[in-house]
Amino acid sequence: MSHHLFLLSPSDTPLYSLTHYSTKPAQTISSPLSSNLPTWSTSAFAGTLTALSGASSATQSHHVPGQGGGVRMGGGQDRHVIQMIANASLDIIEDVMRKDGTMYLKSVDKFNEWTVSAFVTPGNMKFILLHETKNDDGIRSFFHDVWELYLKTMLNPFHTAHSPIRSTVFDTRVRASAKKYL
Amino acid sequence: MATSKQYKAIGEDLWKGRTEKINAELFALTYGALVVQLIQDYEDYAEVNKQLEKMGYNIGTRLIEDFLARSSLGRCSDFREVGEVVAKVGFKSFLNITPSVTHAAPPPPSSTRPVSATQQSSAPGASFILTLDENPLAEFVELPEEALEGGLWFSNVLCGVLRGALEMVQMQVQVEFLSDVLRGDESTDIRVSLVKHLEEEVPVGDD
Repeated sequence: MSHHLFLLSPSDTPLYSLTHYSTKPAQTISSPLSSNLPTWSTSAFAGTLTALSGASSATQSHHVPGQGGGVRMGGGQDRHVIQMIANASLDIIEDVMRKDGTMYLKSVDKFNEWTVSAFVTPGNMKFILLHETKNDDGIRSFFHDVWELYLKTMLNPFHTAHSPIRSTVFDTRVRASAKKYL
Repeated sequence: MATSKQYKAIGEDLWKGRTEKINAELFALTYGALVVQLIQDYEDYAEVNKQLEKMGYNIGTRLIEDFLARSSLGRCSDFREVGEVVAKVGFKSFLNITPSVTHAAPPPPSSTRPVSATQQSSAPGASFILTLDENPLAEFVELPEEALEGGLWFSNVLCGVLRGALEMVQMQVQVEFLSDVLRGDESTDIRVSLVKHLEEEVPVGDD
């Protein structure tokens, strides 16, 4: 079972992304990190369509990949699906944000078997987690941890609000926290 | 000459009783903002180092008066004692850290004239190395790639402060960073080496 984490700035630029596979804790991450930040472009969208259509065994291309989420680990196409799901949930998050004052918005969206949970910081940073299983408490603690790590990164004078987070220390700590809670 | 323990006690006492405190995060953020702004203005890391050192120098020349007044310490008998006082009393009362000191004797003179221990430790070329195990200026800081390559010494202001302060007590010193944990080194080391003792200069215009 895997989880995908995205940190988005207030202007919705992606600052950090992480994929975590919690079945095998020893093997952490083979997958792309901040060097491979998703940039939303039309080619990505086209890739998403192919991923969507290609992953389902049936010929219908609307709905999505069947069992197992079609998540072939490390496949470039699936990242597009994940990113699309994450981006699509942003609207919903904003809606919920307006109504609800709290930071941890539980599951805001469900996309086949992927649930999207979100966490909004006071500074309007959005943390989005895609996960398959239900794990509210663990996810809440994980978000809090990531929030604290993010605060420490913000205190670095060389970091600005919209710059991608490239620190290896941050990365290691987020992974450790993911291992702990997810 | 007070012992090392006495210096520690003096430093501790000064920090606890006779200094106003501010929030450490605020201090670190202010200094960080200063360095980042200098980098944006000068765009050359060597120049930024120099400017930090100059700013430190200005601070140091004023700081020494305050320090001597509060601590009521007398003149140090030799350079070794200078190192002890700087580390245990100075750093403690201003930054609440106690760097460890490693003294190094000056290189042996070319003549074989015997030199007494005190004289030798005050001879030009004497030095000591301060090893900081924590640096309040650099809390939360991580240097970006360009700064690492460009050779930035983030806390270079400390070098200036030491140089300025010691110059006001008639010692001309050369202060430089040897290593910095921000750069990935094992420890943060500052070397202070004595260049010469300054003679009292008669102000120009006096008879």
